[in-house]
Amino acid sequence: MDGPVIEVRDVHTRFGREAVHRGVSFHVGRGELVALIGGSGTGKSVMLREMIGLLRPSAGTLRVLGTDVWNCTPAQLRSLRRRIGVMFQDGALFSSLDVAHNVAVPLFENTRLPPELVWPLVELRIALAGLPPEAGGKMPSELSGGMRKRAAIARALALEPEILFLDEPGSGLDPVTARAFDQLMRFLASDLGITVFLVTHDLDTLLGVADRVIVLSQGRVLADGPVASVIGTDDPWVRAYFGARTTIAAEASHGA
Amino acid sequence: MAAPPLSAAPERWVSLETTAQGDVLRLAGHWRLSSLASIEAGLSALPAVRPLAGVDGAALASLDTAGALTLLRHLRRRGLDPAGVDYGSFADEHRRVVAVTLKRLPPAEARAPRRARNALTALGAWASELSVLLAGHLGFLGAVAAGLGASLLSPRRLRLRELAAQFRHTTLTALPVVSLVTFLIGVVFAYLLGQQAQRYGAGIFVVDGVALGIAREFSPIIVAVIVAGRSGAAFTAQLGTMRLTEETDAIRVLGLSPMDVLVLPRVLALVAGLPLLVFAGNVMGNLGAMAMTATNLGIPPPVYVERLHIALAPRHFIVGLVKAPVFALFIAVIGIRMGMSVPRDTRAIGISTTSTVVQGIVCVILLDAFFAVLFQELDI
Repeated sequence: MDGPVIEVRDVHTRFGREAVHRGVSFHVGRGELVALIGGSGTGKSVMLREMIGLLRPSAGTLRVLGTDVWNCTPAQLRSLRRRIGVMFQDGALFSSLDVAHNVAVPLFENTRLPPELVWPLVELRIALAGLPPEAGGKMPSELSGGMRKRAAIARALALEPEILFLDEPGSGLDPVTARAFDQLMRFLASDLGITVFLVTHDLDTLLGVADRVIVLSQGRVLADGPVASVIGTDDPWVRAYFGARTTIAAEASHGA
Repeated sequence: MAAPPLSAAPERWVSLETTAQGDVLRLAGHWRLSSLASIEAGLSALPAVRPLAGVDGAALASLDTAGALTLLRHLRRRGLDPAGVDYGSFADEHRRVVAVTLKRLPPAEARAPRRARNALTALGAWASELSVLLAGHLGFLGAVAAGLGASLLSPRRLRLRELAAQFRHTTLTALPVVSLVTFLIGVVFAYLLGQQAQRYGAGIFVVDGVALGIAREFSPIIVAVIVAGRSGAAFTAQLGTMRLTEETDAIRVLGLSPMDVLVLPRVLALVAGLPLLVFAGNVMGNLGAMAMTATNLGIPPPVYVERLHIALAPRHFIVGLVKAPVFALFIAVIGIRMGMSVPRDTRAIGISTTSTVVQGIVCVILLDAFFAVLFQELDI
């Protein structure tokens, strides 16, 4: 198989005096569904923003699809961005456009496809993201949180990305919607072969669908591997994090 | 198949093979989004004489959902049910992509075009929106009046700190721009009047014209327009953002009244502040005119002031100051209500703010026209 599609090597990030990353390194292979976890303020979202070229790390290299994100020409960065899709935490849909036009933006801007080819594609993207067809005509302000996130996924999928980055896909969703969202991510990775990289807090997402978990703590990668092996890590934060779930499970079975 | 060299390019994507059952589509190459237009051209260039019998995808190099969508739509156009076609010749990963796309294939009928409004419908919709808006403003004006009445009965409900802060924002910080603009208006006005008056040797009457014009009309109108742009827009933007971040809801839930905390301080600050700004405008306008008459018409400032005493009866001066609080009330009510009724999306704040400024300025001019008629009838 080909090499890693995401390669993070020895990344350091400082905000003023505060060091957020002190040498973070990891790889993501093609078609993997990888979750980045860590406590609040450990720089998960910062790492994501560095990977998609929004925030410059203080040191280190980030290669995405073979392009060195922070050491390439603007043209290379542009062509990289056409090959990745990003879903921001609250969707970041353009509020002046309805969902269909939101999804159509990358298609009209980055391809020369005529409208009669674009609109069926838009409908397919909306369906792929699990939205009903009539959602296309709605404005972002008319959508619920879960639907907004799906619409954002549809837009991120517009150009058939090779990698999909998601920031907190489960946040603000009820557990049932969040699980449906997990299935959507799993489907994108398994059936469409898209590499999915997500930042999350959601334990069920990890246990349910993630191939691999990367734990950030104190500016470093604390653990990296399948959920089963990460759970065994001897670290207070990891124990407390996964402990939260076993406690709930135990209490529930105790009560029953 | 003997194809002319020019149409050779589409053959890269697709060709037709004639079998006993009918034509079979033979796909080749990378069926990806980046080549979609060329693939589509290739498909539509195919002759459609004989019925289509099947698809052969064995030679496909790659296929994404966009490519699969194009294929399935073509099959449907050729009268084949895409779900009933055998995709057995496809490689496993390509078959999976076809299956995924097939499950979500958009219905055949074209996207319903947006219903275009004709001019008459648009006019009607606009008129009904406007009437709803004005009725809402009127209702809010009533609520503000009731709130003012209530706080007169129990003055402790008045938020003095907030009132002082709003007064500072709306009045004190507006002084420099108000002074500058009215000074310049005074200069220009005196210059223009002077040009005409000088021809008749009536230079001194420039003072009469300037003093009356500034005090009765120019200062109140110009100051009100500036404040409508500054404070009206600020009210809408502030309150709209607070509504978006649910701060106004928090105020309500904490048992406070948005009327007391947000609305009345702003209204009172503006109603108290605008007459003061108009007064400042009067002074600066006359100073501007004085500067012009002194240099251009040979009227030294002491003479100007002396003439001002004779020309400017107190009633003219009072007329201007009486209009100011009324302008202020309407500017504040429009700005606040537009802010508090912003729809909950980010785009709406910009639209509402623009609308506030337009409404504020139009309202000031309308009120001024009303006052002009009123004072005319009252002989003031």
